[in-house]
Amino acid sequence: MIIVENLVKSYRSNCVLHGIDHTQKRGEAVVLIGPSGCGKSTFLRCLNQLEIPDAGRITIGGVTIAGGQPPRTAKEKDQQRQLRLRAGMVFQSFNLFPHLTVLDNVTCGPRIVKAMAKEDAETLARELLGKVGLENKADSYPGQLSGGQQQRVAIARALAMQPEVMLFDEPTSALDPELREEVLKVMRNLVEDGMTMIVVTHEMQFAREVADRVLFFDAGRIAEEGPPEQVFSNPQHQRTREFLNRVATR
Amino acid sequence: MSDARRCSRVVWWVLIALLASRQPEVLASDILAAIHKRGELLWGADAEGGAPYVYPDPQKPEQLIGFEHDLADALAAHLGVKARMVQNQWDQLIPALERGNFDIILNGLELTVEHRQRISMSQPYYVYAEQIVTRKDTTGLVRLETLKGKPVGVLSSTVAQRLLEKMGGTDLRIYPGNVESLRDLKARRIEAVLMDLPIALHYAKPDPELSFSGEPFAPGYYGIGVRQQDLQLLVALNQAFTDFARDGTFERIYRKYGLWDTRQETLKDYRPETVFERKPVSTLREWPKYLPLLLRGAAVTVELSVLAMALAVVAGLVVVLVRLYAPVPLNWLARAYVEVIRGTPLLIQLFLIYYGLPEIGIRLNPFFAGIVGLGLNYAASESENYRAGIQSIPRGQTEAAQALGMNRWQSLRHVVLPQALRVVIPPVTNDFIAMFKDSSIVSVITMVELTKVYGMLAMSTYDYIGLGLMTAAIYFALSYPASLLADRLEKSLSYDHR
Repeated sequence: MIIVENLVKSYRSNCVLHGIDHTQKRGEAVVLIGPSGCGKSTFLRCLNQLEIPDAGRITIGGVTIAGGQPPRTAKEKDQQRQLRLRAGMVFQSFNLFPHLTVLDNVTCGPRIVKAMAKEDAETLARELLGKVGLENKADSYPGQLSGGQQQRVAIARALAMQPEVMLFDEPTSALDPELREEVLKVMRNLVEDGMTMIVVTHEMQFAREVADRVLFFDAGRIAEEGPPEQVFSNPQHQRTREFLNRVATR
Repeated sequence: MSDARRCSRVVWWVLIALLASRQPEVLASDILAAIHKRGELLWGADAEGGAPYVYPDPQKPEQLIGFEHDLADALAAHLGVKARMVQNQWDQLIPALERGNFDIILNGLELTVEHRQRISMSQPYYVYAEQIVTRKDTTGLVRLETLKGKPVGVLSSTVAQRLLEKMGGTDLRIYPGNVESLRDLKARRIEAVLMDLPIALHYAKPDPELSFSGEPFAPGYYGIGVRQQDLQLLVALNQAFTDFARDGTFERIYRKYGLWDTRQETLKDYRPETVFERKPVSTLREWPKYLPLLLRGAAVTVELSVLAMALAVVAGLVVVLVRLYAPVPLNWLARAYVEVIRGTPLLIQLFLIYYGLPEIGIRLNPFFAGIVGLGLNYAASESENYRAGIQSIPRGQTEAAQALGMNRWQSLRHVVLPQALRVVIPPVTNDFIAMFKDSSIVSVITMVELTKVYGMLAMSTYDYIGLGLMTAAIYFALSYPASLLADRLEKSLSYDHR
């Protein structure tokens, strides 16, 4: 489903990703953990081309893009669009469109990008809003919702494009602790439905419960990976142990 | 400052009243004493397009020449002092004289009832007449009446303007200077120009494309304007002119500039007429007469502002989109456009559009030129407003749109611009209100809008305050609803407090 080969990304002279390789099966839920600034978010943003990698290849659902240049030709742009259609993204700060209602936030992707008919898009949107428990907020504006509700709308918005992979970039970091659970619950449901997911998070409990595999990022490399019980209970790497200790005492 | 001046003037008048009862001769000579003490006679005139009256010497532009310049020197010599010219816009000479900017007006000021109601005027120093000027190929426009139904140019606030207004029936175009009207005549925007003979002799006669049509008519006199209280100065000036007529000073000066004709012989025999009393007009009390004229000007202002703003709003959007999103050479062009427009005066831009473009074959009528000039000027500032609005939208919004698979145009159209619109409404409305006022500048290309109507009425009634209040009230009545409307628009578009 996802194949990443030798992904390299640097900002100016500062190398952020040092050749990441990663393969992920359909339906697999992968959680990325690691200290701040270790490259987790950059890795995720490269996957759906919000950042253009300097080198390497990314394949998602059969669409492959090589790093290097931003797309120039119509064919390259279409390739990029195809990749993005296969990867839904949920941001730390939600990034809902404040001028649109909740319903329009969810329907705008399918309608504008896929030219889906209004009725079809709305049927789909109401179904997804039901899934995240917000069918009664369809006509509200994002500014009227709590952070947890906004993030659930953002998940519905990403799902509306019917992606093959969902990418979560610290989806609960901007939320008050009491609002996190409602978002995590939605994510757990997605895992149970068999969605292929990559989640960047500091929620260790969540990682332990739902991840099929945990990747520990350190200084732009995958320092350690394995099933959660192994990584959390018996970390092999010195850096992993330090990190887990720090998180545990927090 | 003007308040302080008015105060000191009141004190001055009180002193005059007290002293006048005792020793009038001492006081009346005060202005002359002041001139002697200063050693200079200050004369107000407009040297811009001022030939042959007073103008910069084409050979030595830092030096002024002209028959009135020579006359001023002769007058000053007669008084035993030196002459110094004070530059002032022609149609504002009388208010400037009253404010005390200079001692006399010596600049083709006609001896008319209107002028004499406002200021004192000397005996005449030149006999002028009105001359119709047309293009070489025009025939038949030989008398005043033949101008009916034709577009005719005149200099603002002149006898020529009053003659045509009194007759009615012409498409009257009012110009701020002499050069502009003849230029438009050659550009076929108008069919004839009615002007004072000396001007015509200097500007039109040597021009191979133009000709004098018919004989000069409606002779009149030029005289010097002085403040009403400066009687002693008036007497001294009249004495000087009597001497100049006898000793040949007039003839010598006028011959030098090719302006001498048999009419000038009559200056010797001039007998002063009765002096007119000043009749103040209250335009506020007679508002039914004046308000409709002002409102007609206001209609032009509104039309012009609305159309120019519509152009600015659309053109500004094009400019900002090109600047932010077009590839390299194009976005530089858009940026250069904004910088050049913002860095040069609107007045110059209007002149270039109206008087410059005909040289390359693009001839816009004044109304259209005004819309284009104002619209393209404001487009630059609107594009800057838009740019600020677009850049105020957080990056995450564009990223979210991209992550959904939208291309650049789709994310602009559906995500960025609708949000930027709300940010941009207040500054754009401010500009719209400013446009109402800025649009008065189009009077320089012969458009008669609200401010121009005000100026024309004020020149003929001298009621600057009453007309000023009415005009200001109209401007306010235009802009206040616009800002109310903007408030409501802003509220109805806001999504934060719904």
